[in-house]
Amino acid sequence: MNYHFGRGWARWTPFLLLLPGLAAYFVIALGPSLATAVYSFTDASGLKGAPVRWVGFDNYQEFLFMGRASVDNLNALGRTLVFCFFVTVIQFGLGLFVAVIINQNLKGRNIFRTLYFMPVILGAVIQGLIWSLFLYPLGGPLARVLELFGTRSEFLGGQPVEAFAWVIVVQIWANMGTTMIIFLSGLQTISTDYYEAARIDGASPWQVFTNITWPLLTPSVNTNLTLNIIGSLQAWQLFLVLLGYRNGTQVLGYLIYATGFGQTSGSVTSSFRQGYAAAASIVLFLLVLVIGTVVQNVLRRREARILG
Amino acid sequence: MSAQTNPLRSAGKPIDWGQIGSYTVLIVLAVIYLGPLLMLVNTALKTTPSFMRDATGLAVEFSLQNFAEAWNKANFPKYLFNSILYTVSATTLYVVMAVFVAFPIARGYVKYAGFFLTLFVIALFLPPALIPQFQLMLNLGLYNNPVGYILLFVVNPIGIVILVNYIKTIPTELDEAAALDGCGYFRFVMSIVLPLIQPALATVIVLHAIGIWNEIIAPTIYLTSKDYYPITRGLIVFQGVYGSNWPLLAAAVLMLTFPMLVLFLFLQRYIVAGLTAGSVKG
Repeated sequence: MNYHFGRGWARWTPFLLLLPGLAAYFVIALGPSLATAVYSFTDASGLKGAPVRWVGFDNYQEFLFMGRASVDNLNALGRTLVFCFFVTVIQFGLGLFVAVIINQNLKGRNIFRTLYFMPVILGAVIQGLIWSLFLYPLGGPLARVLELFGTRSEFLGGQPVEAFAWVIVVQIWANMGTTMIIFLSGLQTISTDYYEAARIDGASPWQVFTNITWPLLTPSVNTNLTLNIIGSLQAWQLFLVLLGYRNGTQVLGYLIYATGFGQTSGSVTSSFRQGYAAAASIVLFLLVLVIGTVVQNVLRRREARILG
Repeated sequence: MSAQTNPLRSAGKPIDWGQIGSYTVLIVLAVIYLGPLLMLVNTALKTTPSFMRDATGLAVEFSLQNFAEAWNKANFPKYLFNSILYTVSATTLYVVMAVFVAFPIARGYVKYAGFFLTLFVIALFLPPALIPQFQLMLNLGLYNNPVGYILLFVVNPIGIVILVNYIKTIPTELDEAAALDGCGYFRFVMSIVLPLIQPALATVIVLHAIGIWNEIIAPTIYLTSKDYYPITRGLIVFQGVYGSNWPLLAAAVLMLTFPMLVLFLFLQRYIVAGLTAGSVKG
């Protein structure tokens, strides 16, 4: 494009002013991100000045195939997939359902929309603490509800599977609003003419949904599925706040953090195995890459079939 | 949906079962969204003995003492100051750099503009930078250092993409006219482009600032000394000490939640704009 702000040396001004941002990005984000692969082949620790040696594929081998620890690792990997599956399916379904309902001409719809979207601003710490209180086992609100049914629960302090399930619930509570908002913006792009025509033809609400709304919502469906899947594969902040590093509940993201930086927050532990943690990061990255690519392919084909 | 007429209704208006169903769903969900918050408020207003006796009973005592106590014990002023310092300085640094990255890329004023943009988009799919980033900070002596902590947050690729997309909607004739009038590049960006891209800028600022404010992993990794803790980390520490004293903890949490929720009402549209701008390219 024609540049109007001078010639000769002055032509370099835009580039020179772009440099700080670009440099910061390279040094702080892009470089370290790529260097993760390099670190995964070393025995780097988190100690300043400690010698670092190449260890080839040892970290990967240990992570995947060595004894009890690798069983734990693979369990965490499986849990990551389970977490991703439930969060994606429920959040996607609920977000879509609520968006379709709110998109009707109802009184107070803005209030409901704002309410469901609100947790987005709170962040994992406040979300987690609020729910820890809500799930207070000794006569808290949900404990009371269970009492009505003659049963009780330790919630977050209960069996690992149960605690894990509650993290899924809080994760969905916190992020369903985002999915809903993206669907709502998609719904608003659908011309009302279609609905008008369907109404004249006497189509049932379900027919309207499957023949008009769902296919025309394809772009938002793609966005939401991609965001939900990738997001939930990498999310672990709520595990940190709600459960801490508890056996039987760890997901891959938390495991990477724990092996790289010591398991407990507060007091420093000795296990700063950062080369190993880098290898675990690459495993998670490959998981995201493979699932992301497959999903993208499926979604593209579907889009071509529907809209093409 | 059947449209039966109800003879008892004067105008013979049909009962809209669809609408009743819709409201039922919305209200049930509203309870799930409000319930935890109401519990928080109620608990914060109770005394500890009363909470132990009956956790869900209404806070008739209406005690405000928890707030004063939490404020003092939680070291709130210090942590809040740190959070504000990190959020404001990192966001300011980031936004200034981001505008000077996004503008020439959007206009094609630098060579390989398309390639640069791709570089930023790529970051969204690469492995987490966690480990090498830590090694970098450690070796630069920026570990447990507020400056190092701020530097972690002067990067945000999504913001660049949002800005580039928005700047593309601004007519290039403007550049020409300004240059003819003898306006330099730097002054043009600062005094003409900046005001014009305010909506996108607001979105980027809000998204970035919220991210820093709520960050919990980075402070856990990078800040070991209590003097540097942001409020998120401070809350976790407070929970560690007073975790069994829910009224006190609830008061602490509420003092941070309430301003965020008020802020949310004002910032909501910028967050929504950011989400939908990000999803358009999807």
